[in-house]
Amino acid sequence: MSAPATATTVSTVAELRAVRRRRQTLVVSGMVLVVLVAGTVALLIGAAGLTPGQAIGGVLGLGDKGDVFVVQKLRLPRIEAAVVIGAAFGLAGALFQSTLRNPLASPDILGISTGASLGAVLGVLVLGLSGVALSGMAFTGAAVVALAIWLLAWRRGLHSIRFVLVGVGFAYLGSSLIAWALARAQEHEAAAVLTWTVGSISDVRGEQLTLVAVGTLVLSAAVAVVSRTQGPLALGDDNARALGVHVDAARVGTLLLAVALVALATSASGPIAFVALVAPAIARRLVNDGGAALVASAVTGAALTLVADVVAQHGLLGVAAPVGVVTGLVGAPYLLWLLATNEKRSR
Amino acid sequence: MLAAVVALVLVVLASLALGVRDINPAEVWRALTAPVAGFMDHDVVLEQRLPRTVVGLAAGVALGMAGTLIQGVTRNPIADPGLLGLNSGASLAVVCAVWLLGITSPIGYVWFAFLGAAVAAAIVFSVGRGQPVRLALVGAAVTALITPLITLVLLRDQQAFNLYRFWSVGSLTGRGLDTVTALWPFIVVGLVLAAGLAHRLNMLALGDDVATALGQRVGTTRVLAAIAIVLLAGTATSLAGPIALVGLVVPHTARRLVGTDYRWIMAIGALLGPVMLLSADVLGRLVLPRSELEAGVVAALLGAPVLVAVARGRNVVGA
Repeated sequence: MSAPATATTVSTVAELRAVRRRRQTLVVSGMVLVVLVAGTVALLIGAAGLTPGQAIGGVLGLGDKGDVFVVQKLRLPRIEAAVVIGAAFGLAGALFQSTLRNPLASPDILGISTGASLGAVLGVLVLGLSGVALSGMAFTGAAVVALAIWLLAWRRGLHSIRFVLVGVGFAYLGSSLIAWALARAQEHEAAAVLTWTVGSISDVRGEQLTLVAVGTLVLSAAVAVVSRTQGPLALGDDNARALGVHVDAARVGTLLLAVALVALATSASGPIAFVALVAPAIARRLVNDGGAALVASAVTGAALTLVADVVAQHGLLGVAAPVGVVTGLVGAPYLLWLLATNEKRSR
Repeated sequence: MLAAVVALVLVVLASLALGVRDINPAEVWRALTAPVAGFMDHDVVLEQRLPRTVVGLAAGVALGMAGTLIQGVTRNPIADPGLLGLNSGASLAVVCAVWLLGITSPIGYVWFAFLGAAVAAAIVFSVGRGQPVRLALVGAAVTALITPLITLVLLRDQQAFNLYRFWSVGSLTGRGLDTVTALWPFIVVGLVLAAGLAHRLNMLALGDDVATALGQRVGTTRVLAAIAIVLLAGTATSLAGPIALVGLVVPHTARRLVGTDYRWIMAIGALLGPVMLLSADVLGRLVLPRSELEAGVVAALLGAPVLVAVARGRNVVGA
């Protein structure tokens, strides 16, 4: 190849990369804008209607004591929780999907969320836990179930379909135990358990919120370190190996991080259905560079969860529902659509 | 065949005799033939154990047969009324009936269970045709779609919530013999349909094209099977709640025992369904000292390893 041709190639590649980066920035900032708008709406509406002035005063700790309480103790933590947990789910989903190279791979389908809610339900009903200790139970549940699924699905390498099916088996195991716990519970406990099975962020605040936020940040930093292997992995195992990536180690490392993110988020909020499935799908389609779109997925997850929570909380469904109900109603049809169109393509 | 009959008799006997209060078989027999009113052992057998055994028999037959039919008609080893979302469709329809119309008796809501199971079946079969794996995933997706809807109803209606949480666990208790007397015709119709389809399923196992070439109307087979499946799964769900994985395990075990002829698989499956459900129920009574695990929970505990084993099998994934 002659020198001028190489120069042209280099400049073309540089140009493409610039376009790609611009597009990614655009998507991320668009989603951040959605988060800001939805956050503002969430601050302003509610049982205690606030004017924008009162809300700003509340955020800054000025003005009427009641307003400050409503904003700082009730509304802001809820918004923060939605953003942090949504981002964790979105990022984890992106990692699962790019690592297993399967748009269906999400913690909901892989049984990991079931493990977390199972741990939490047992924590509430058998051990009578609450708060951070309960989160610990949920985390343990998710980790144990993830590990079990992994070991069972491993047979001369990790086959994603087998992974999914074994996950479905565990989901049944978990949900039957949850149903059993639900039938044993006192009436007031039962409502709490029900929340744990669908996912709700209404009670995530204080110590727990800090824990989740710090944990998510730390894990995201770790993801940033391993994310360099994501590009080569997307090209297929053999190509990635040829590019010098230790495929199995990279995959195991990434999946561990993803499991930790899901376990952390679920331990605070319960399994918020399908955020991890839908957010990366939206992000990938918007960014559209063939990559894993990790940052965009995280921001999309945050936006999705926050919007869904505003919808759920303010009773657009006729009753104040946990956020997981809304995301489930959005996510499940998407999953069905994914399965239906997948069929056409494979024919 | 004989072994299956013997197993069924033993399990029925165990279900009548074992529990928090163990009663010896002779006393069980006397309770059934010449009951003495006011005698504790006889009352326990007649008022508690007999109804739940009969419910277990009926629901077990229905679930085992529904699972066999689904696996046969879809040529799919990973199929079961629970996995394919039929049970959750029935559940949603039932909680809606409780919430909107205040119906709380199984005889009243069985029609809603049929409707819900039929709608779920229509969605699952139309989206999930083709690969076995996809059918199971579509079932999971439909379940995931229905679960938040159920949650919404439960959040609105305390009565529905309380009914649901005792019913959704899949228990054989709390149903009188009158429920079975009211619902058995549906099971019989389902069984007759299924028996009539056995030969057609054998042909269908060779593929749609071969079955058509052998003179079968494949579409008719599918529709008849779907009707039978909805009748059986809907009745079982009304009787005992959404019990998963019995319908998965039974046909697999039957196939191990008698080979691939659906006439035999069905005959054995009709015996093994109640064997599995009743053993789950008896086990659930014995494992916890003062409390008990419901049959649905134990069935899932027994069934999940089978599902995992099937998923690990080579012929499913093809890798």
